[in-house]
Amino acid sequence: MTQQRITSGELIDEATLTLEELARACSVEAEWVIERIERGLLADGSPYVASWRFTSHDLTRARRICQLERDFEAAPELAALATDLIEENQRLKERLRAAGLIEG
Amino acid sequence: MEFKDYYQVLGVEKTATPDEIKKAYRKLARKFHPDVSKEPDAELRMQEVNEAKAVLADPEKRLAYDQLARQYRSGQDFQPPPDWDAGFEFSGGGFEEADLGEFSDFFANLFGQGGRAGGRRGYQMRGEDRHAKVVIDLEDAYHGATRAITLQVPRLDAQGRVLSREHTLNVRIPKGVKAGQHIRLSGQGGPGMGGGPAGDLFLEIHFTPDPLYRVEGRDVHQRVPVTPWEAALGASIETPTPSGVVKVKVPAGSQSGRRLRLKGRGIPGPEPGDLYVELEVVLPPADTDRARELYETMAQELAFDPRQRRGARP
Repeated sequence: MTQQRITSGELIDEATLTLEELARACSVEAEWVIERIERGLLADGSPYVASWRFTSHDLTRARRICQLERDFEAAPELAALATDLIEENQRLKERLRAAGLIEG
Repeated sequence: MEFKDYYQVLGVEKTATPDEIKKAYRKLARKFHPDVSKEPDAELRMQEVNEAKAVLADPEKRLAYDQLARQYRSGQDFQPPPDWDAGFEFSGGGFEEADLGEFSDFFANLFGQGGRAGGRRGYQMRGEDRHAKVVIDLEDAYHGATRAITLQVPRLDAQGRVLSREHTLNVRIPKGVKAGQHIRLSGQGGPGMGGGPAGDLFLEIHFTPDPLYRVEGRDVHQRVPVTPWEAALGASIETPTPSGVVKVKVPAGSQSGRRLRLKGRGIPGPEPGDLYVELEVVLPPADTDRARELYETMAQELAFDPRQRRGARP
């Protein structure tokens, strides 16, 4: 039997992403991220760019905003609004699922 | 390899204007948006649509594609003729590796000239980061697991054509992972160019939907059915949980909806979550004479009117 190699990675949140890492993971420039943070569309707790760190949720959110902006040539605020609604929808669906009101 | 009719994918005429192509694309992007679409193969269709748009919305690529398309029908077996793209220079030197990972072989063969175009001396570029979703059971988050992930990896052959190859990775899913959390695998993303380092692969964790559990961060909620006498008199019951069977003490006088917190029994981690057990009182059916008799005895002997407290109106 062949021994299969197992790849281990790092869990984001335990190790957070820097601005550059987040931008690269979204295939955008760092300026794209900075602009959306300054407009209050992406979360970050600190006012100092150098200490900005991003979580898994930030990564998912940034990719979603980026995709909506690109697919529909949407204004960043509109993409963020749609993203807010998608996130809210997912939370509610999760509750409905747990309450047995929807399947899957 | 089959010839792809990108016009058919977008549902537009071959004579469609750039504006019509853009409109058709947006319409489909809305229909197949993976976050809202109810279509079962939304993600796959969205990939096709993105691919078709990448070609038809780019005047140079569209022109080159149109020349080829005159000789082929959709679904027909297809090999790109040598130097089919002679005379065309695709801006940006073909496509990003990340695109190639998500697009079809057909596309990669036609437009995946990144290697050829990117042959500039001394030019180094880090590979693109890639993303994939991994679905695990909630139990896997409690104990850790290993999952095989299969990815399409573009690579260049000796002629500089892009071929796609399947690459399977056995990935350790660490204990304590939450839904929506990412695992970063360094160097497992797109290959670098000119000796540049490879990108990273981000795996986004999803849980298999389970009607028994609701997960919020590391907290897990579950409903547990109990008998009326267990709820009324109190009891020590056993219930299956993601971490195995546990004993739960039901306090006397419990009602349906009462939540009991089992500290630290949620998803493990630096700050382990809690398990919330919500009691659900289930009545035994009155389907035998004896059962009916017991209910009648209760009706006669217990002075109980659940509507009294609410000030029930007639």
